[in-house]
Amino acid sequence: MHTVEVSHLAKRFGDIEAVVDVSFAIEPGEIFGMLGPNGAGKTTTIRMMMDIFKPDAGSISVLGGPLDLPKKRRIGYLPEERGLYKDQKLGATLTYLAMLKGLDQKTAEGRLGQWLERFDLTDYRQKKVEELSKGMQQKAQIIATLLHEPDLIVIDEPFSGLDPVNTRLVKRIFEEQRDAGRSIIMSTHQMYQVEALCNRIVLINEGRSVLYGRVEEIKRNFAGNAVELKGQGDFTEIPGVLETRQLNGSWHLALEIGADPQDVFRALANRDGVKIDRFELAEPSLDDIFISVVQDGNHGSEAGHV
Amino acid sequence: MSNFWLVAKHEYRNVVMRRGFVIGTAAVPLGLALLIGMVILVERSSENRLPIGYVDQVGFLDENAQPAAADDEERIEIQAFADEASGVQALEQEEIQVLFVFPPDYPETVKTELYYLEKPPSNDVWREFDDFVRLNLVRGLPEDVAYRMLEGTNVVVYDTASDREFSESSIINVILPMVASFFFFFATMSAAGYLLGVIATEKENRMMETLLTSLTPGQLIGGKALGLLSATLTQLTVHIVTALLALKFASPVIEALQKAVIPWEYLGLLALFFFPAYTLVAAVMVAIGSAAVEMQQAQQVSGIVNLFFIAPFFLVALLFSNPNHPIIVFMTLFPTTAFLTVSLRWGLGSIPTWQLGLSWVILVGSTAFMIWAAARIFRAGMLRYGQPLTFKGALASLRNQ
Repeated sequence: MHTVEVSHLAKRFGDIEAVVDVSFAIEPGEIFGMLGPNGAGKTTTIRMMMDIFKPDAGSISVLGGPLDLPKKRRIGYLPEERGLYKDQKLGATLTYLAMLKGLDQKTAEGRLGQWLERFDLTDYRQKKVEELSKGMQQKAQIIATLLHEPDLIVIDEPFSGLDPVNTRLVKRIFEEQRDAGRSIIMSTHQMYQVEALCNRIVLINEGRSVLYGRVEEIKRNFAGNAVELKGQGDFTEIPGVLETRQLNGSWHLALEIGADPQDVFRALANRDGVKIDRFELAEPSLDDIFISVVQDGNHGSEAGHV
Repeated sequence: MSNFWLVAKHEYRNVVMRRGFVIGTAAVPLGLALLIGMVILVERSSENRLPIGYVDQVGFLDENAQPAAADDEERIEIQAFADEASGVQALEQEEIQVLFVFPPDYPETVKTELYYLEKPPSNDVWREFDDFVRLNLVRGLPEDVAYRMLEGTNVVVYDTASDREFSESSIINVILPMVASFFFFFATMSAAGYLLGVIATEKENRMMETLLTSLTPGQLIGGKALGLLSATLTQLTVHIVTALLALKFASPVIEALQKAVIPWEYLGLLALFFFPAYTLVAAVMVAIGSAAVEMQQAQQVSGIVNLFFIAPFFLVALLFSNPNHPIIVFMTLFPTTAFLTVSLRWGLGSIPTWQLGLSWVILVGSTAFMIWAAARIFRAGMLRYGQPLTFKGALASLRNQ
């Protein structure tokens, strides 16, 4: 049984089509990446999953059916727009939020002690939230998401505001949650985090899911859509190339979907003043794939990725 | 504990633990205690319990016919003197504090002479001696006639429409609605003000999306409304209890209170109108709080909207002079002014049953509509961070969602 199953979801706000056609499913015990440019419809999709917005069309099944209050208690949600009661004490706020999720006060306070220790926030338990730094508040919000041990964790940009040490800690915690059989949906723009953590992804663009599947399979399908070369000369504005980046003395070219690397090589070879020392197909990063699909509009779906 | 009660408890604790609330709650009792203490101190320091002297040159007063003292009252002794000279001498030797002389032509002139040293007689002295003279004047008359004359007139008016009684002794039934209207209205607007603040702050704090995955909007808003109303009523109870304790020091008022019959009909009416009225105000505040970007903007809008609720206070003169004026009838029926107008009108006369019934139906209907509308505006406005929900947008949310 899927933890979440979203099928042909659509939502319109007045004249704006926020979500046109989004479908995906999430397995138990996986970290699922939800990607897409700003305004693609990710947050609206999550809000429909969370029953904050009602969809105009399509169906959503969460934890085995429509979302109701008992199921909401099994979800930990870290929204994109988030905060805590600034004028209240950290410990009391987190305990209150855990109690709203069904924990009794004693259990909530007991678990909170362990989480605060893990996040190095024990000394701040009796302090007001407004006295905490942005990073500390971010860690507190992650605690609020996990304190009631949810079966489904939905997190939007979980690493924003965290230093590298705490980023590593949070990643480790998410991996632990996944290993404990919990499903995690992670929406982020940090592609390297998605590559490091996610088993599968969906890429949403202009309200449509345009790419969906296992990360390795997607990368395999997109092999040939990136080229790495070494040499001298002008490597910009090459036909069939979406983006050119210089990396450690090499050039990384992200190609348009369907562009032939041989054609790119020929185009470069015919250029005056260009000298090529090395030209090879590169395994595309999720960044490349993201750019390829997003800049090519709906080519992703036409290419049969969804 | 259900989430509704958890939210209510959380909001209640949040408000009552605030320094401003504690100071606001304690300020009235402390202020009253200070005031009463000062009054008592001044009274004690100027209290004069020396006897009152009198010279009766007419021969109508009997020194032994003195009014009976109430249980908790010590009367000032009244002492007769054979002639003016002995009375004045006693006054000069400070054996008495004041001397009244009734000259032989008193029955014709109804004029007495008064001697005192430095301070004119206090109200207590006047009251005591007045009672003594009145008692002597009715001495010898049949007991019921004497009682009637001492008590004076008390016209009782029966209203056949409402089967209610209006009399001088039931003046408390006029005062009570005034006081209750003020207190309950204060509670309503105060709790609604808190609610407005909480909703706007919730939006500013970006807590709403997290909370909505644990609670239904009904639990969230209902719990907050109940918690905040409870906090306001707590404050109000402290103030009312303090005021009642203070009244113990004001014996004339206590006397009126003792004569008063508890107006159960009024209390029932108050309860019937109070809850839908509070819910209506709360729903309006939720809608404003959800639509506004920040607290300041919400307060500006609510300040204008509040005028629709407090309008009866502006027309209180008209209410007193003509409680059945068409404008007052309109305010009785208009949902935002219904509670206050009905409450104030009750003490001034009877309200036709059809007006009461229609007013309540309109109030409850408007409240139900406002809850529906507020829920939609809340859903549309709460997640619009940094941008207000325009009036047009709010109307669209009522049509679309």
